[in-house]
Amino acid sequence: MLAIEGLNKTYQSGVHALKGISLDVPPGMFGLLGPNGAGKTTLMKILATLLEPDSGTVRMRDTDLISDKHRARMMLGYLPQDFGFYPTLTAEQTLHYFARLKGVHDRKERQSLVNALLERVNLESARKQKVGGFSGGMRQRLGIAQALIGKPALLIVDEPTAGLDPEERARFHNLLAETFAEESVVLLSTHIVSDVSNLCSNMAIIRQGEIIASCAPSEAIKELSDSVWEATLTRAQIEPVKSRCKLLSSQMYNGMMRVRVVSRSERPGEEFTQVTPTIEDYYFSLVSQS
Amino acid sequence: MAHPFHTPFFAVFRTEVLLNSRRVAPYLMALLCGGNALLWWARGPASGRGLATNSEAFIAGVLPIYSFMTLPLFTAVIMADPVIRDYRADIGPLIFSKPVGRAIYLLGKFFGSFFVLACGQAAFVITLFVLQWFSRPGVTQLPEVKVVPYLKHFLVFVVISHLVLAAIYFAVGTLTRNAKIVYALGVCFYPLIICYNLFFLNGLPSFWQHILDPLVMRWGQRKGSNVHTLSAEAFNSLVVKYDAELIINRAGMLLIAAGILTLVYRRFIIGEPPQKVHFSFLNLSPASERISFEPVSNWIEDDREARRTPVPLPSVSSDNSGIRASFRKLSAALAAEFRLLLAERSLVAIIPIAVLLSTMEVIFWPARGDGSYSAAYVTNIAGNSLLFMIGISIFYIGEALQRDRDLNIESLVWSQPISNFVLLFSKFLATLFLVCILLVSVGLIAVLTQTLKGNWPVELTTYLRVYFWILIPNAIFLSAAATFLKVLLRDRYFAYTAAIGIGIGLFYMYSQGYNGRVYNPLLFRLWKVEDLVGGNNLSQIAQHRVYVLTVALVCLALSHLFYQRRSR
Repeated sequence: MLAIEGLNKTYQSGVHALKGISLDVPPGMFGLLGPNGAGKTTLMKILATLLEPDSGTVRMRDTDLISDKHRARMMLGYLPQDFGFYPTLTAEQTLHYFARLKGVHDRKERQSLVNALLERVNLESARKQKVGGFSGGMRQRLGIAQALIGKPALLIVDEPTAGLDPEERARFHNLLAETFAEESVVLLSTHIVSDVSNLCSNMAIIRQGEIIASCAPSEAIKELSDSVWEATLTRAQIEPVKSRCKLLSSQMYNGMMRVRVVSRSERPGEEFTQVTPTIEDYYFSLVSQS
Repeated sequence: MAHPFHTPFFAVFRTEVLLNSRRVAPYLMALLCGGNALLWWARGPASGRGLATNSEAFIAGVLPIYSFMTLPLFTAVIMADPVIRDYRADIGPLIFSKPVGRAIYLLGKFFGSFFVLACGQAAFVITLFVLQWFSRPGVTQLPEVKVVPYLKHFLVFVVISHLVLAAIYFAVGTLTRNAKIVYALGVCFYPLIICYNLFFLNGLPSFWQHILDPLVMRWGQRKGSNVHTLSAEAFNSLVVKYDAELIINRAGMLLIAAGILTLVYRRFIIGEPPQKVHFSFLNLSPASERISFEPVSNWIEDDREARRTPVPLPSVSSDNSGIRASFRKLSAALAAEFRLLLAERSLVAIIPIAVLLSTMEVIFWPARGDGSYSAAYVTNIAGNSLLFMIGISIFYIGEALQRDRDLNIESLVWSQPISNFVLLFSKFLATLFLVCILLVSVGLIAVLTQTLKGNWPVELTTYLRVYFWILIPNAIFLSAAATFLKVLLRDRYFAYTAAIGIGIGLFYMYSQGYNGRVYNPLLFRLWKVEDLVGGNNLSQIAQHRVYVLTVALVCLALSHLFYQRRSR
């Protein structure tokens, strides 16, 4: 549905942000996972028609998003990583404004749409409040509300939960899950692994401007099934383990190191117990490979 | 005891000096002050009169006037945001997590900025001091080189005066966390000090005039000892001694500054200032954002939220193609621009001042009786409002076009299916509307004044002719040219500098007699009310107006063309 082909972008500073990215994104929630500086936001900005790539194509339902920007914007909903609103406008005025920019000119239709959006994101009671007084979570929800105007075929959500507290993150996850409509693509860019595992039916991992994996989260977990082990070790015990198997992650815990490793053939040691693999394990296994 | 250079106060002070040394304003001020000194030395009041430029009387005489001229504006610029800057950069909490008290922090910030300000101001006396070694025909200098008078009089006549002003600006900026209010105060300084002198000080006895004169401009004109009446020889040998009145005045100023800083200390809170949930009229500013907490009732209980069924979004028709859709979007953008403009706090100060200064002459001075009174009135307001038209067009277009970037809303707006024409034209029209409000207000006040003064007849057609042929086309041209300049240069400060530079250059050319219509788009000094009645002159003016509006149209078209939705 969304076809990205050979996308390249080098900034004036010389940073090669995207290195020939190609990706087929099917309808549904698609997670783009990667560390900070991997090129996620660059890719999102190109898809949102805000940045010009050096080469490559992006097509969505027979529309070239690079060359036909006006058409692209008609089918686009975008929630950037950093964004603001006019602080002196109310939530309702803000949504009316964006709806009119999106071409919803009929007053009655627009009003019913704005009402439904405010209800959807649970901001009905704050509809007359000026946006400048909103908390981070409320602003984020208003952000998704404006992105949903006109039922976009491509919804781009860039790092939406960064900076939100766990409760607000859960609310946002629910909201995103509700917004997904068939025949539409929701592209969720994040560096928070649980965002992808909670929401997405498909995902890709991007690192240093390259896609290093693209699959369904269930497939990723399946790939590591029966091969992830965990143990709590002293620092001195870690080195021999590293030579025997691949270290996924290590974390200090009560003065000891809690380590997770991949070992497909045998148990890495007496101290190790087998654990259920997570997307995080898959992510680390790929990142350490590359 | 800690070494003075190792104290938290010195750390804050030093950092403030360092931060200010990265700004353009102190260097620009020093350059202007140095240039000013050179000008006053070469072609100033002492030139050709045998008055020595390094005599004590000259030094003490020029410093209060120098202190009055452009320095208050620079004081506002430098003292407005030392604390605001920290909070804007979110570094305030980091500083206060260290063992730094409020008093130390505020004093370090204040004196760090004030030190930079005083250094910039000192360029004037340093230049005068250095010029003692130079000679020029018409410039008299005493043979002995002076050092102490420069330092002494600079401290007394400039530094102390500006210490109070700096304390006021610093207090307002720190307590309101809004630099724009300080800039507005800086602009208001001149009308305020003139009114204070005219309506308050003039009515007091001489003693109190000297005690209460903040810039000590009256001190040199004491009873029977006016320096202007002295011979050159007596002037040059005059030794300036500070009398009790001056000492009381200066001590009072120091006390006022200390009082203001104490007030700042008492009122300053480390966190974001608590604000009301709703804006009051005077509290409107797009720059002010607050955090509030959502009432718990919004989400009720989590389990209820989980059971909540998603609200279906209604199907709506949308129209994104064609001119009609574009114009509808333009009207939406324009409505938002007007709302934002109404929320612009600076307007509350600037428009009334602009209206007042544009109409002051017709209100307070008697109109000439020869010819038509209406012609005299409208010519006067047209001339006096020109500067404000230029200023408002340049700065409000600049701010309107920059606002989306400052508020970080660019990416949301740019990803909408709207053309550049909608984005640009809405801001152009909003600014044009603002200029028109100024012009209409000024016109109405002029008509009202003429009526109240009984300068009959009030010829409305004369007013309308001037507005139709001169003022409105000028407003359109200025707004379009300012839009083009901002789009072309992208950076608002470059655009302001370029616009001011072009403006000064053109007006200088006009003053030198190079006043051709082709490069005088505002028809400055090229029209009279009689020309607008009819005949050959009117047809020439009409042609010129068509030319100016065409240029405006080209500016807008080029803006549309060059405008780039270039993401950061």
